[in-house]
This record gives sequence, C-alpha cells and structure tokens, in this order.
Amino acid sequence: VTLSEGARAGTGRELGMLDSLLSLGGLVLLRDSVEWEGRSLLKAIVKKSALCGEQVHILGCEVSEEEFREGFDSNINNRLVYHDFFRDPLNWSKTEEALPGGPLGALRAICKRTDAGPVTIALDSLSWLLLHLPCTTLCQALHAVSHQDSCPGNSSPVGKVSVLGLLHEELHGPGPVGALSSLAQTEVTLGGTKGQASAHILCRRPRQRPTDQTQWFSILPDFSLDLQEGPSVESQPCSDPHIPPVDPTTHLTFNLHLSKKEREARDSLILPFQFSSEKQQALLRPRPGQATSHIFYEPDAYDDLDQEDPDDDLDI
Amino acid sequence: MAAVATCGSGAGSTGSAVATASKSNVTSFQRRGPRASGTDDSGPRLVSIAGTRPSVRNGQLLVSTGLPALDQLLGGGLAIGTVLLIEEDKYNIYSPLLFKCFLAEGIVNGHTLLVASAKEDPANILQELPAPLLDDNNKKEFDEDVYNHKTPESNIKMKIAWRYQLLPKMEIGPVSSRFGHYYDASKRIPQELIEASNWHGFFLPEKISSTLKVEPWSLTPGYIKLLQFIQNIIYEEGFDGSNPQKKQRNVLRIGIQNLGSPLWGDDICCAENGSNSHSLTKFLYVLRGLLRTSLSACIITMPTHLIQNKAIIARVTNLSDIVIGLESFIGSERETNPLYKDYHGLIHIRQIPRLNNLICDESDVKDLAFKLKRKLFTIEQPFQFLNEK
Repeated sequence: VTLSEGARAGTGRELGMLDSLLSLGGLVLLRDSVEWEGRSLLKAIVKKSALCGEQVHILGCEVSEEEFREGFDSNINNRLVYHDFFRDPLNWSKTEEALPGGPLGALRAICKRTDAGPVTIALDSLSWLLLHLPCTTLCQALHAVSHQDSCPGNSSPVGKVSVLGLLHEELHGPGPVGALSSLAQTEVTLGGTKGQASAHILCRRPRQRPTDQTQWFSILPDFSLDLQEGPSVESQPCSDPHIPPVDPTTHLTFNLHLSKKEREARDSLILPFQFSSEKQQALLRPRPGQATSHIFYEPDAYDDLDQEDPDDDLDI
Repeated sequence: MAAVATCGSGAGSTGSAVATASKSNVTSFQRRGPRASGTDDSGPRLVSIAGTRPSVRNGQLLVSTGLPALDQLLGGGLAIGTVLLIEEDKYNIYSPLLFKCFLAEGIVNGHTLLVASAKEDPANILQELPAPLLDDNNKKEFDEDVYNHKTPESNIKMKIAWRYQLLPKMEIGPVSSRFGHYYDASKRIPQELIEASNWHGFFLPEKISSTLKVEPWSLTPGYIKLLQFIQNIIYEEGFDGSNPQKKQRNVLRIGIQNLGSPLWGDDICCAENGSNSHSLTKFLYVLRGLLRTSLSACIITMPTHLIQNKAIIARVTNLSDIVIGLESFIGSERETNPLYKDYHGLIHIRQIPRLNNLICDESDVKDLAFKLKRKLFTIEQPFQFLNEK
C-alpha cells in the first residue's frame, strides 16, 4: 500500500464533516484570519453545492462580482444567483433591480420565494454586515432565515435553508463573534501549520453534545476541495537520541514501594484519632501501670487549699 | 392542642395573606370564619393549591423546581413570587433541561404556564418536555438506582483523609408524592397532559414585526412587549387576586428562555457599552414587581458567558432571587480530569434569597457536580477523590 493510497483510504473514511457541512442546515460560520483566508473555502463549498443541484444565492458585499466569479467555470456561474451589494451598497443609483431593504431585505426575500428544494445562501461577508448593521438585527435576521424550515405549521413545504457566512474574526471583538457562534449550528475555524491549511469543525446539534473534528485540506485551482492527512510525523522535532531519558526513581535513599507484608501492616494500623471499640475498652479498663506513676506537689504560699472558702474568712 | 392551633393558624396566615391581597385590608391578621359556601365545620381551613407547600423554615409558599435534588439545595423549593435565574452552560445543553423540568412540573401539578422565547416556538418547547415518572414502581427503581450508586462510596472508609467523613453529606431525602416529581429525560410528555393544561406562549418574532425606533432610556421593545404580555395574563386570569370570584386559586409558572441574547434585541452580548445596557436590569426590576404581587414563580435562563460587561452580570445577580450557574465540562480541560470522570459538569449556587429572614437558607455542601445519568439528572458531591491513596 503506497502512501497516497493509504491517504486516500483515510480521507474516504473521514469524508464526513467538511464535505457535508451544509447537510445539517442552519447557519454555518466560516471564521478566517489574515494568515488563513477563507474565501477560497467558501467558493469551494459554493461550487460543491451548485454541482449538487441546490439553489445557490450569493450576497456579495466585500468583493466585486467579477472577482467572486473568477475561477468558476460557466455551468457553475450560470447556477449562481448573485446579489451585488459591492458596487452600490446604499443604492444611490436608484436602479429598479436593486432589492429594497439592503442585504437583510434580500435575505428575507430569498426565503419568501423558496419553493421546495434546498437553498444555500452564501454571505460574503458577515464581517461587512456586522460593520454596517446592528449586531442584534443581524442575529435576529439570521435566526429567522436559518430556522424557517423548523416550523411544523407551514403550509407550503419549504426546503432546507443553509446560510454560509464568512467572518473575519480579527475584525471584531469577542462580543459579536461569541453571539454569532452561539447562533451557529456549525463553526469552521481555519488554521494550519507550515503551509497546510486545516479546518477545525465544531458541530452543535440541538440538545446533543457538540462534536468537533480537525480536517486538513487544500483548495485546488478550480476550487474543488482536496482532503488530506495531517502534516507528516517526521517534521516534528524529536528528542536528542544521545541523551537517554532519565528515570528519577532509581538510586533513591528511601523506599517508594511497599512490600506485601508492609502493606498489610499499614492496613491494619489504627490511626490515633479513630475511636474504635478496642480503644474504648482500653480506656475503660483500669490500667495496671497506674500505681507506678506519682505526682509530687508542694503547695506554695499563694495556693488555695480549701476550695469552698475562697476568702479564707470562715472560722470553723 | 395549643401546638395544633398555632400550626393551623400559621399555615392559615399564608392563606389569609393571599386573601388579604384581594381585599386590600390594612391589617393582615384576620379572623377566619367559616366559609359561606363551604362545609359546616368551623375549624380554620388551609388554602392549599396543588403542588405547593409552605416552607418549614420561614413559612413561604414553595413550588417545586422539577428536580427534587435542586429543591433540597434551595431549602425546599422555589418560593412563590421569586425569580430563579439559571446561568447557561457554554453550549446550552443542560440549562434547557432544567427549564423543561420546571415547566413539566407545572403541567403535572395543573399550574398555568407562560412560556416566552425568542429562539423557539413555545409550542415546540412544550412538545419536548420530559415525561414524568408518576408510577410509584418507576420512582422506586430510580431511588434504588441513586442509592446504589451512593452506598459503595459510603462503605469505603476514609483512612487518611478521615476529617472529610465528618463533612455533611447531601442526602436526597424522601420526596412526598405531591411535591416534586422525577422526570425521564429520554421520553416526551404525553400529548394529553399538554392539551389538558392551560398555557400561554410568547414567541418574539411573531409579536414584533417591524423595527421600532428605540429611545436609549427605555427598554428594548421585545422586553416591553413581554412585560405587557405577562401583566395581561396575570390580570386577566386573576393571579394577583383581582378576580375574587375565581373558584380555585392557581399558580402561574413563567419560563423565559435565553433572556439577554441578541435574539431579544438586546446588545449586552454584542458590545461592552451598548446603547441600552440598562434594558435588561430594568426588565428584571419590573418583572420582580409583577411577581411579588401575584401568585407566580419565574425561571429565566440567561447566557451570561456571552455578556461582555461583568458589571451587568453583577447587577442581574442582585436583581434575581436565586441564581444557579451551570458549568459543563465539555470542551474544557476538566473533561479529562479523572476527578470528574463520572460527572458532566459543576453546579454553582451563586445566590439564595433572604425572604422574611435575617439569614439565608444555604445548605452546608458547597461543591456540587451534576450528571445526566441515562434519564435522570442528579446532583451530587464529588468527594470520592479524597479517598485515593
């Protein structure tokens, strides 16, 4: 078995999490940083769900539409429904095709139009939305969008809605990031070592323990996802082979282990503060050695020998 | 004879205090005469509402929180008119269980429920309540289960750390069958119990459809609507004694989920110095006023680990009566700690109220851990580690 075959077998087993991020539905938070950028992973996931036949809507706020569509081939580009908020975020040109209500209005409109079928909404990026909208409004809108399918009383069968949001965690304080991650069903934090990217995936299923997994991956130029094993073991620094590990328990002047006899003796020992029946009997029995101890005392001038007459003025 | 009389009048005074609220007399001492419509025996009768009992320590009327172990820690139960605040654990797995046990206890006792949430529809919350173990056989089985787990520990004598044997142990005392029930977290409550109960739901996204302009000195609109809703229910159903013709007094159990999270429109979890950082504290103050003047008890779960300003947490603690913090071991380094291997988390009793008392009713045990063992949620003292040599 060559190393590549073994690696492929390994990735076949762990295919679960990173590939099926959107299968749970709800809000998927993609947290990236300056060192490990997340837009390529976002595009890879978008490409995958477009190829699966889902409806994909993109809310583009941070980069232009040309830059986002770059790298996708034409059949994927035809399936993406792009809502552009980069060119004219405040709608100053007052064109008719702009959706009213800004990005949040667009979100709500997408959900109202949904017919049966899973929908993926990619938010590029949540950081832009957090900087332009109050955090509470954004949280309420995301919650309403991602939980639309959980209402049992809906008349029309609404498909599963997944919202994929890119969050640059270095731009925000712990407050908004904590609030959004408490709302998210899945949280993917990007990291890595030595040129290999990893995704730490935390899945919060409702009423169950959260599960987490670290998946090493790389994005190919056509934005398909390549899952990999972790970095090779030889790259880790090993201890110097010339110095043997020291065992501190050798050459001691005291005994660390008890022999069997010693252990029995210790178990049968009665501790001084434990009151057992033997001790009680020993105390109640008159002690044979009592006669051998005497107390010699000489009263001095200030001692009071008569306990009943403290002032010494009774004349009896 | 005299003892019986004082006992009767002591319990009767709670009832007469309730009756006084409705008649608004100056004094709370009243001669209890025979009821006009009642029986013809002339002794004082206890006003007993199902599922409540007077506290043996200070005479307050108590309701069960749904977990007998927790009732024991709080000195018998939750006093009517008070707020129980639960600080949620980080992944919000165990606090919904306490919340649901409280509501399920209300359904089993026939109390009226008011469920408020911004996250889930209250009807869905009620569908997921745990099933009560009303059968005595089942209850015995779980009692044995709990005690079997405890007896091996008490049989091991502490040899070296012998002083710890003298520490007071937490006992789950005998629970009367009318106050406090055990719940099976793996089964759902039967549908007919839910339908037979009287409940009101408040789901925030339905009540607030448009974004209103919020003045910085006032409460968040979500909180205002919730307070108005609670006040309406209390007034209409007569929990504050405003309808003296009501035939049977009942208790209102209010449950508010995830209060303070951004879904309620409050930004204390998002920013350290938000625009309405006093909204939550004002809400709690008005809520406590509503509760003190009515026969109701409230449970609130709050994600305090998300609140950015620690001063707000301190204010919230002062404005609530009982505060319990849940800390689960998931994801923390304590999960692999062998001391805590049997448990799922720690439970911290942060505050217990002094109701008509000079001292509060704390139990002697301080470090407690909880675990969700198969179906039962138990609270125990983890002291076995002291016995390891």
